[in-house]
Amino acid sequence: MNIQTRQAGRATVIAVFGKVDAMTAPAFETSVSDLIAEGQLCLAIDLGGVEYISSAGLRVILAAAKALKAKDGMLLLANARGPVQEVFEISGFGSVFNLYDSVEAALETAG
Amino acid sequence: MPKTNDRPDCGGIKWRHRLSVRLGVVFSVFSVLIFGMTLGYNYYQARNMITAKMEIQARNLVSATAGRVETVVASVTALTESMALSLELFPFNNTHLLDFIKISVLSHPDVFGSAVAFEPSVNGRFQGPYAPYYYRTRSGTEFINLADNFDYMCRDWFQIPKELGKTEWSEPYYDEGGGNILMATCSVPFYEVQNNQKRFSGIVTADISLKRLTDIVSSIKVLKTGYGFLLSRNGTFLAHPRQDIIMNESLFSLAEARGSRELRDIGRRMAAGESGFIPFQTFAGVQSWMYYAPLQHVGWTLGVVFPEDELFSDIRTLTMTMAAMGFGGVLLLMIVVVFIAKSVTNPIRALAAASDKIAGGDFEARLPESRSKDEVGLLTRDFQVMRDSLKDHIQLLTETTAARERMESELQIAHDIQMSILPKTFPPFPTRDEFDLFALIIPAREVGGDFYDFFQLNDNLLCFVIGDVSGKGVPAALFMAVTKTLIKSFAKEDVTPEEILSHVNEELAAENDACMFVTLFCGFLNTSNGEIHYANAGHNPPLVVNKNGTVKWLPRAKSLVAGAMPGIRYEGEHLKLLPGDSLFLYTDGVTEAMNHDDDLFSEKRLEKDLAFSAGLEIKDTLHNVMGSIQQFSDGAPQTDDITMMMIRYSG
Repeated sequence: MNIQTRQAGRATVIAVFGKVDAMTAPAFETSVSDLIAEGQLCLAIDLGGVEYISSAGLRVILAAAKALKAKDGMLLLANARGPVQEVFEISGFGSVFNLYDSVEAALETAG
Repeated sequence: MPKTNDRPDCGGIKWRHRLSVRLGVVFSVFSVLIFGMTLGYNYYQARNMITAKMEIQARNLVSATAGRVETVVASVTALTESMALSLELFPFNNTHLLDFIKISVLSHPDVFGSAVAFEPSVNGRFQGPYAPYYYRTRSGTEFINLADNFDYMCRDWFQIPKELGKTEWSEPYYDEGGGNILMATCSVPFYEVQNNQKRFSGIVTADISLKRLTDIVSSIKVLKTGYGFLLSRNGTFLAHPRQDIIMNESLFSLAEARGSRELRDIGRRMAAGESGFIPFQTFAGVQSWMYYAPLQHVGWTLGVVFPEDELFSDIRTLTMTMAAMGFGGVLLLMIVVVFIAKSVTNPIRALAAASDKIAGGDFEARLPESRSKDEVGLLTRDFQVMRDSLKDHIQLLTETTAARERMESELQIAHDIQMSILPKTFPPFPTRDEFDLFALIIPAREVGGDFYDFFQLNDNLLCFVIGDVSGKGVPAALFMAVTKTLIKSFAKEDVTPEEILSHVNEELAAENDACMFVTLFCGFLNTSNGEIHYANAGHNPPLVVNKNGTVKWLPRAKSLVAGAMPGIRYEGEHLKLLPGDSLFLYTDGVTEAMNHDDDLFSEKRLEKDLAFSAGLEIKDTLHNVMGSIQQFSDGAPQTDDITMMMIRYSG
């Protein structure tokens, strides 16, 4: 797994690549929670490069969403494709999170 | 250990590799080399100095001896010449003549005999050849007329001065007619002047016994066996320690006998009146040095010979003594070096031996005492510190390992407990013919979060549930146990599955700081008609397999997993199983099982395996699917729990 972050306006885009499973999820969680601890209130996670995401990965997203919600921030998910999108659908995450087709679309929502 | 010549106490190091020995050997070799070179140079220089000094000494000795010889020769020459002059100047008769000769012999101790040999052809005073000769005897003098014994006029001592008209010394010879001794003769011609004409009148001779001269030469003693010698003009030996060669051998005859060109050259230089200092081999074959110089009046050569051995014996002795002292010193030094080196290497060897033991795991091995403040002492103390910290580290490691093993065994127990709370008795309801149920769980190595459960709510209502907690380990196991307990406590015949999930969700979501969640599929089977009422909280959709092998996926739930957030409403769904139909439930450990290439087992393979297994007992179906998964993963490690549950409605 590989993570790249960049600033886009007031939002921070986190691009995740590779597999997010029980092994790699802790690293993913660390980088996300660090950003939140820094005071970032708008995180956009670009899932375009993710090959596979397990329940451990979903837990990180859920925890991030909860933490941001408590601070009146927001978590945006973009570019979920193929098996990742399936996982989001099956687990019901797709129904509680807004999934955007592209990072740009997500950032537009964020304003 | 193989048998070798090495001493056993060397700590495995061959003795010639030991530092002390190497240091000692290198030191000694260089010391000996330097000392040997110095000694050699010293010997060489001393030799040159001694040779030079010896040359001066030899020259002095020769010139002194030559002086003594020459004094004798010169006085005899002077006597003879004055006799000749007297005969020329003063008139004499025979009586006067005889007295004159006799007195001349007696007055001069070096003269053995003297003669006046007259030329007969011009002589008017005496008839025929006349040569009165007086020679010395023990009692006084004897007289003979040489003309009575031999024809003196043919003799060299008469002929040569007559022809040359000047004083001449003869080659030494044995006087057989006169004294029968080895002698040399000084011959001086004398003349008669008449009418201003100088006429040869005869020869005055004075014989000198060579014994006196050879005694002078023989008295020369150089070193122990060095000697002097005297050679005549033609190289004949006149004086030499070897009596047998005197008058019998000459330098040239010896050169001939030895085939020595060198000796002949020496002879030539002597004959030419040169002097020199040269290395030389004596008749006895002893390597020697020789100094020679000419005697002016007689043209003889005086020489001294001294053996090289004796010449250099002092410096040889000195050099040998120095060498012995030097080598003794080097030996002593080597012992000291080895001793010092040993005092350095012994602690190192002891340290090496101790480190060997430590390397073998014996941390109690005694390290050598480190009282010294040198590098070895420092090393020893450092080593001690290293040993101690290593010991502590190993102890810590041992404790940690023990703790980990304890934890692992506790995890194993946790795992066993977790597995034990799942129903394991199959068939679970042996008295019921209208349905059958079988479940299989293959946990991953770690404690996982998969579970299943089933229980009867009443005679016709079977509650079944399958779930997968996010994550692994003890938290997941606890979360799973809580979930299972909650479901069982909420499940009543007058409650719907969606209500159960909602309740469970509320309970789990409250105070869920870890944000853990669980996917749940909960269903009620009406065993009398095959109707199923179910609700799905984010779980993989099950499949319906009919007896002909048709496989159909249930629609995806699209409702959120349980525990993620509160306030979720779950939808109830309905399904009717026909007799022979089965419901297959599973967790994602099935479809996401991986092989070595990280390929997933996939829904497609599951579907195919289920279709293939149609008509088999549900137990065999699940084992078939499991076998297929194992075949697919081909030994790749299982990362997630694999759980399957199958319910067949028989009608």
